[in-house]
Amino acid sequence: MIEIKNLTKVYKLSKKKMAELKTKETMKRAADNISLTARPGEIYGLLGPNGAGKTTTLRCVATLLKPTEGEVSVCGYDTVKQSDKVRESICFLTNEIKLDPHFSPKYLFNFFGRLHGIDEATIEARRKELFEYFEITDFENKKIEELSTGMKQKASIAVSLVHDPKVVIFDEPTNGLDIITARNVTDLLLKLRNEGKLVIISTHIMSEAQKLCDRIGIIIDGKKITEGTLPEILEETKAADLEDAFFNLYRVHHKEEK
Amino acid sequence: MKNIFKKELARVFSDKKMIFSLFVLPAVLMFGIYGLMGMLMDNMVSDIEEHVGSVYVQNAPEGFEELAAQSGYDKLANVTYLEADASAEKIAELKDGILNGGVDLLVTFDAQFMEKAAAYQNAGDPIPSVTMAYNSSLNYSNAARSTFNGMMLGALETGLLQSRFGNLDLLTVFNTETEVIVNEDKANGEFLAMMLPYLIVMLLFAGSMGLVVDAIAGEKERGTMANMLLSPIKRSSIVFGKLFGLSVLSVMSSLVYAVSMILAMPMMMDGMGEMGGAVSFSPLQIVELLGIIVSLVLFNVSALCLISVFAKNAKEANAYVMPLYMAVIVLGMLTMFNTGGAAPATTSYAIPIYGSSLAIQALVNNELTLVQFGLSAGVNVVLMLVIVFAISKVFNNEKVMLNA
Repeated sequence: MIEIKNLTKVYKLSKKKMAELKTKETMKRAADNISLTARPGEIYGLLGPNGAGKTTTLRCVATLLKPTEGEVSVCGYDTVKQSDKVRESICFLTNEIKLDPHFSPKYLFNFFGRLHGIDEATIEARRKELFEYFEITDFENKKIEELSTGMKQKASIAVSLVHDPKVVIFDEPTNGLDIITARNVTDLLLKLRNEGKLVIISTHIMSEAQKLCDRIGIIIDGKKITEGTLPEILEETKAADLEDAFFNLYRVHHKEEK
Repeated sequence: MKNIFKKELARVFSDKKMIFSLFVLPAVLMFGIYGLMGMLMDNMVSDIEEHVGSVYVQNAPEGFEELAAQSGYDKLANVTYLEADASAEKIAELKDGILNGGVDLLVTFDAQFMEKAAAYQNAGDPIPSVTMAYNSSLNYSNAARSTFNGMMLGALETGLLQSRFGNLDLLTVFNTETEVIVNEDKANGEFLAMMLPYLIVMLLFAGSMGLVVDAIAGEKERGTMANMLLSPIKRSSIVFGKLFGLSVLSVMSSLVYAVSMILAMPMMMDGMGEMGGAVSFSPLQIVELLGIIVSLVLFNVSALCLISVFAKNAKEANAYVMPLYMAVIVLGMLTMFNTGGAAPATTSYAIPIYGSSLAIQALVNNELTLVQFGLSAGVNVVLMLVIVFAISKVFNNEKVMLNA
């Protein structure tokens, strides 16, 4: 269970950043008073354009960032005060966090398994299962740097699942993958959900959100605009599909920064 | 902590390039440089010795040729004899030759050299002279002059003095004898005491530099650090694991440096003649030396970690580390020039890096007290712990760790 209560994350902007964003404000509210609840056994999708605050929100859940205001709790543990406990029960995948290219998937799988305090026999069993699922057993001794982009992503996912986490946080999991690998990943997410895990992903791909997510939260400019199942959102926006629904909302809520 | 320690080691030992640059290259470099230096110096010396000088002697006194044959000088140099009335052009040509290196030496004796020398009686009588023209910038010419001076002029002088005074002892007023009283260890250690602290301090730092920058700033840059931060382990465990792993590697790398340097040194010494000497360490001294080295490495690595943590990428970290490297070189060099001066105050031993450098120097000189040792090593360890604590705090800082 993930509970986000009034999450606000404010970044101070450096002079350089201010020039880049062409703004005179010294602060940027990356996440603005976001509240949401995601439950075990569902896939919750954060949908929004680039820079809307999806990654910031997920990073706060993953204990990497501290909320400026508000609280985030995962499985009942506070992400700031009990970050160690939270880290035990989550896995976090994002394209900025990578595996060390110098090591093999097998080495890193074992390494992170040990960091999570799992015994060797369990690690061995988990590795067999996950590597077979992702078809990386044949490459398990190759260095990460020698693998293709898709292979790297599969290895990253396998390694991140080493400790069988209750909560799976994937930040744009299919970004940059070919159709087959992307399908592989989405199938896995469904499998994890069916096993009763809580899956939360961020995406800007409408079709992915439409097909995959049980519930969708739409974020624009750091604010959560709406939330619900696909039919609920379509009903609310009176749109035929998610893309139309999104643009209807975007037109209303996106404020031009002048 | 143990896992991260092992991973740091595995990272280096599974990479041929890293092994090469950390362990093979220093050894090859040391042997190469010292061997080459020794060989070149050796060659230079023997080349000069083997060179047969081209020497011109104008107006040679009577009996000169016999003397040259007798002393064997005629085998060391091709001597050409010129008459007193040799043309000015010929002399100018020879002097040109000296300038360009074709001719090594031109010696001109005064007319009636022997007669004038023999006829000397009272002050004011004419004293004959010898003029030697040579090129001070050329090794061959220099050597030809000093050989001629020593072998020929020396012999001539002795012969003339003998005939003037009969007994050469008349010229000796007193004999001087010297008795050397010296502490063997200190005498032998002098050269080492000057170089060693500087070399150790510098090499230890240089050895850790690349490693640490890559292991901290490099990991941040590659995005592999965050994975570690997501593990449910204490930040301080990550820091300590990295610290110890990197320290072990640094010590190993600098040991390779040190051992190859000591082994290669004789190769250079051959060419330079005796300069240093063997220094023997007692077991206690070896333990102390290791203590200083290990504590210094821990301090170095932790300081480098702290700097690297704040850098966004390896390039930036290298730029931050450079000033510190300069400071280390200067601190190490300071000890090179205080040999023989007043002993430094005990408190100087508490200055990081400089204190360690002083301690190594005192150790080689056999003068290191336990207090000084404790102080220099202790300061390193205490500072290391403080820095590790600081790094653990920084590891929790999202701004620094994720460039957020």
